[in-house]
Amino acid sequence: MIRIVRSTIIDAPTDRVWALLRDFNGHDRWHPAVAKSEIERGQSSDKLGCVRHFYLRDGSELRERLLTLSDLEQSFSYCLLDTPVPLFNYVAHVRLAPVTDGNRTFWEWRCSFATRAGAEAEMTRMVGEDIYDAGFAAIRSRLTASSPTEGRA
Amino acid sequence: MARVYVSSVINGRSDRVWARVRDFNGLPTWHPGIAESRIESGEPSDKIGCVRDFRLRNGDRIREKLLGLSDFELFCTYSILESPMGVENYVATLRLTPITDGERTFAEWTAEFDCPPEREAELVSSIGGGVFQGGFDALKRQFGG
Repeated sequence: MIRIVRSTIIDAPTDRVWALLRDFNGHDRWHPAVAKSEIERGQSSDKLGCVRHFYLRDGSELRERLLTLSDLEQSFSYCLLDTPVPLFNYVAHVRLAPVTDGNRTFWEWRCSFATRAGAEAEMTRMVGEDIYDAGFAAIRSRLTASSPTEGRA
Repeated sequence: MARVYVSSVINGRSDRVWARVRDFNGLPTWHPGIAESRIESGEPSDKIGCVRDFRLRNGDRIREKLLGLSDFELFCTYSILESPMGVENYVATLRLTPITDGERTFAEWTAEFDCPPEREAELVSSIGGGVFQGGFDALKRQFGG
């Protein structure tokens, strides 16, 4: 079992970060790797158990199920159902916490998964850098840019 | 039940910050509000259930019991046994989490307690703004920002 933990500080209030991350179907509007996403069966993206069906910019097709969503703890977790890469039993957890002495946000993104022998290094790099680090960078540039607008709703 | 939550970013690796705050008898070495401390009955300060008897710089004396300590999850949980503060069922946790994109630490200090309603705002302010934030400010100075 491989575990990855990535965390960072975003110079924006937690509510603003959560407003972007909370939408389980919203990653195609902020994550640079995600081209388009939709929730299956027309369900609401904050209905527990809903499945997001999405495509990466490289054409990969994935499905993930929402396992936890908490507006109180500002956290969510999800698992992969289908993916073309060797990620097995992939479960991820995202949580935010306010930095109260600076009105900033602590953001942690962690997961565990298995993969096939020989793919450990590549899967670890892909998840940690292409997904988590790239996601941190995208939210950071979006929320700490000079423009105060939140972008598309 | 009143609740206090204070958090901060310390400019040092979490193992180094943990080494500073882990000692349940070590408050006087890093917290500016604490004058002296001892562990009762000669027990080691990382024995779960041990009691620290300490004195603030203003002279107040407090006894607290260690309820939980984790070198894996980097947290320390304790309760107040005796204090002049007028709180009941007081349980607090100091927790550190690594910030992986730099050698920094996310520090959280929470407390829950019961008190008369008219005293809640004052107690939340003195515990959160005074004791907890005062401790974080000292750690930030000690770790350079």
